[in-house]
Amino acid sequence: MDLSIVHIVFWLIAGLASFSFSIGNARVWTSICVGFVLILLAEVIPAAVPLLPGLQLPQVQALGYISGTVAIMVITHGFQEYYMFSRTLEVEGEKLHVYLGVLAVLVASMIFILINPTPTSETLRTINIVENSCWVFLSVINIDTIRKIYQAVKDTPISKGFVAFMFVFGFIFLWKGAALYIQVYDLDMIAEFFPVRYAVSVYVHEFGNLLTSISIGGTFLLLARLLR
Amino acid sequence: MIFLPRGIPVREKVNPARINLPEAMGKLRSGSFTGYLRFDSSAGTGVVIFERGKLVSALYISADESERLIAYDAIARTFEVSILGNATLNIFRLAPELAMGIHTLLHGHYLYRGQDLQLVNIEGLLRRIKDEQINGCLRVYAEEKVVLIFYDQGNALGFFHDGTDDIVNTADLSKSVARLSGAKFDLLETAYARDLVLADLMASADLGPIWQRARKLLLEDRRKREEQAIRSLEEGQELRYQHTRMLLKTIAGNHIGKFGVSQVDKAFSLVGPELRAEELANFYLELHRLAKLVAGPKKINAMLDEMKHQLSLTD
Repeated sequence: MDLSIVHIVFWLIAGLASFSFSIGNARVWTSICVGFVLILLAEVIPAAVPLLPGLQLPQVQALGYISGTVAIMVITHGFQEYYMFSRTLEVEGEKLHVYLGVLAVLVASMIFILINPTPTSETLRTINIVENSCWVFLSVINIDTIRKIYQAVKDTPISKGFVAFMFVFGFIFLWKGAALYIQVYDLDMIAEFFPVRYAVSVYVHEFGNLLTSISIGGTFLLLARLLR
Repeated sequence: MIFLPRGIPVREKVNPARINLPEAMGKLRSGSFTGYLRFDSSAGTGVVIFERGKLVSALYISADESERLIAYDAIARTFEVSILGNATLNIFRLAPELAMGIHTLLHGHYLYRGQDLQLVNIEGLLRRIKDEQINGCLRVYAEEKVVLIFYDQGNALGFFHDGTDDIVNTADLSKSVARLSGAKFDLLETAYARDLVLADLMASADLGPIWQRARKLLLEDRRKREEQAIRSLEEGQELRYQHTRMLLKTIAGNHIGKFGVSQVDKAFSLVGPELRAEELANFYLELHRLAKLVAGPKKINAMLDEMKHQLSLTD
């Protein structure tokens, strides 16, 4: 079952919800929102490869994977900032600096890709493994961070939003974890020997992706409602 | 209250806090002054008597007459009362004999005190003075007027009226104090003024240190009272500050939970103990900024409105 179009639609919704939330709310949400918007970039590029000509370029695909890595880094940074805020009530920095900082990292990544040899399929696979590793391990860390934030703000109107974020990272863990599992064990190469394991991993990956996109969109809509 | 007729006024209604009393008394001494200085205040009355430049007598009686001091104690207490700033000094010149008579009167022994003239058989009283050969003074007073009649061995020596500086033999009936309504009298037995040899209190001790000590005590007392007043003010402010903080925390807790209470604590650091309006305005801004991270504008505005309303009620 090819869910590419469905993924793109839900990721577009999630990205728009996330971005609009970042504009209308406090600075501390900016990193988190921008990170989730970047997933859109990282997911749409590979998913749209068969649909949009030109996106099959290895450099573009490499940039997609790097964007994904940057996304989880920025999201994690955002939740760390929120955790700091929940403990110290200190918030600093400006939204513009976050936007410009992320843009600068992406431009630097693009330059890095352009000045190096054209990525081979092996290189792309390695970059993707790095991306998925970051997502898997940082998702676990983020679940713990969000749990601590929830403990601190549990009687505030926004607290339910953090519960939703824990589900989001649970889905991300399944989605990226399944992909990492397939890549680390080359299950796609040896699927004929482990058909059930491979099929389950692929389903977990696909549905994890779908649930992630839906939950992100839903979480930001919930946050917008809670902060109304 | 010390009832004495006014002599010849030298200085009247002077605030003794504004003058250096030891210096002023030194001038009276060098000028061979004879007369008395009267210090009146709500705390009590002090009388200092000079005789030919010698400070021969000092008496201080508190307003409730619970405190009666003489000599240096009286001078020290008079200085203290003067330095407080609400005393009045009057200086009257007298003849030397009268000054001594005043001294004996102030240290006399009461035979009658505060008797209503209308209730007394005057003739009988005068007969008793004569018969018992009383050496003393009959003091008649009404309102602020006082007259003294001195007796020697039961024989009247003369009168001391307001505005005279010596004992006179005639009484001006038009100025009779005894005829005033509510007139009272005291009868005091006194020592023989002519036999008295009094030491000069200014010769045997320097009044400067007494004055300085009184000033120091007063300044110390004033400083303590000011400190106490400041402390009371600060305590009042602190109480109001803490009450306001607790009120705001309670409201925040009701609107945005425990986290809101912490936010109030944080934002309230912008407010000083005087709870100035501009500080409170900054507090609301800061709280709004912090609360925005956990609550929507509707809840935040409701919380801030209640805070402002409650604070306006406590003002």
